[in-house]
Amino acid sequence: MAHLRIHLTFPEDRVRDPIIYEISKNFQVVPNIRRADVSDKTGWMELELVGDLSEIELTIDWLRKKGVHVDPLEKSILEG
Amino acid sequence: MSNPSVPIQSDSAAHSGVKALKCRECGRRYELLAIHVCEFCFGPLEVEYDYDVIGRKISRQSIEAGPVSLWRYKDLLPVLGEPTAGLHAGMTPLVRAERLGKALGLKNLYVKNDTVNHPTLSFKDRVVAVATTRALELGFTTIACASTGNLANSVSAHAASCGMECFVFIPHDLEAGKVLGNLIYKPTVVSVKGTYDDVNRLCSEIGAEYPWAFVNINIRPYYAEGSKSLAFETAEQLGWRVPDQVVVPIASGSLLTKIWKGFHEFTRLGLVDENPLLKVNGAQASGCSPVYQAYVSGKNHIVPVRPNTIAKSLAIGNPADGFYALDVVGKSGGQVEQATDPEIIDGMKLLAETEGIFAETAGGVTVACLKKLAQKGSIRPDELTVAYITGNGLKTMEALAGSLSQPVSIDPNLSSFRQIVNPKS
Repeated sequence: MAHLRIHLTFPEDRVRDPIIYEISKNFQVVPNIRRADVSDKTGWMELELVGDLSEIELTIDWLRKKGVHVDPLEKSILEG
Repeated sequence: MSNPSVPIQSDSAAHSGVKALKCRECGRRYELLAIHVCEFCFGPLEVEYDYDVIGRKISRQSIEAGPVSLWRYKDLLPVLGEPTAGLHAGMTPLVRAERLGKALGLKNLYVKNDTVNHPTLSFKDRVVAVATTRALELGFTTIACASTGNLANSVSAHAASCGMECFVFIPHDLEAGKVLGNLIYKPTVVSVKGTYDDVNRLCSEIGAEYPWAFVNINIRPYYAEGSKSLAFETAEQLGWRVPDQVVVPIASGSLLTKIWKGFHEFTRLGLVDENPLLKVNGAQASGCSPVYQAYVSGKNHIVPVRPNTIAKSLAIGNPADGFYALDVVGKSGGQVEQATDPEIIDGMKLLAETEGIFAETAGGVTVACLKKLAQKGSIRPDELTVAYITGNGLKTMEALAGSLSQPVSIDPNLSSFRQIVNPKS
């Protein structure tokens, strides 16, 4: 079982989507939300995905295709 | 390992005044280990100090009697023993910038010149000196980072000087010159085929998997504290005073928050008088300005961007401390400004032409934003102002291609010199 901690940023056109519900429905992963702040224009969420690594990969690909920005919990690690 | 959330303090920790790691969001405390995230709320961890203990040990005299390096402030840095890495980092010049000030209409301007930091000519030598010392204290034999430039140079050099194994992760399309600057120290440079996002994610996974000191992942709480030394040195070099205005480049946002923290620690310990006027201003390149965008929109949400700027050392699309940098700017009454690529070049040239300091592109961002703040009256002419110049121009020569005047070409005789150069005297 793999655990992946991620930071999601939602653009305005995705803020109202039931993203977490859709993850639970479409993928064999358990999303565990720890922190979030969502407003009418944007929002972010920090959560852990638990499941098989291949299923987590599919979830992240799906999130990216929906326009959700996916980063590791540490956000941008690559520094100048 | 025992439960890391239980605040266990070793004798050496208690003696040093370094208390624990503390979550910036929920306040939970953790042991002083190689961890960076609160297990409860995923908030970032920060070093907590016992200022009563430190206050009994530190004084202006004790600092002045210390080494000519950032380690003169060891009592306020998160190491438990004596420093073992980066022994010559810090104590860079604070330059009274009269000619630059005259050009900008500022009568009391200083430049903190980290272009001459040791050993790799950028402010990263401060944070890496602290990170490497702490990593050795924690028993690590391998150190790692992900970087496109300054950080990789500094980690590679420090690892070499301490005999540590070193892994540097870079994007596959990084310019050859930047790779060479790392290879000379003989680290293992890993070129990752993928986007910047892919590099970030891979490094996060490697950081969780391997028993390495990854400076900006599991060692980040210690690493980041090294930036406070810029504030400590500024205050000491100003004759134990806190400036009225500072202008700080923003990449991850950590540098700005730590400069603020450094001034406050000195004030709290009575080493300087409080300066309620202190305003902390941030500077970003317009090609990567997520903090500026949040600032002007009046929101505290950082929306990630895809960087496209010549200021590569500031090109962080989703800055880890962006929110906290915004918070400091707001609390201090400062502002965030941005500069376009041509303005960045102009800023580099202005600094070089007036003060003889060749800064990398990030320095151009700072000077360009300082100019804007002065022009609109946000920094008044008499205010004691410090601009932070964080890296050497020799690292970003390519950015200047085509923007400087060409040499004057003459024949090897005096008449050609007189005819073409024709100096006034």
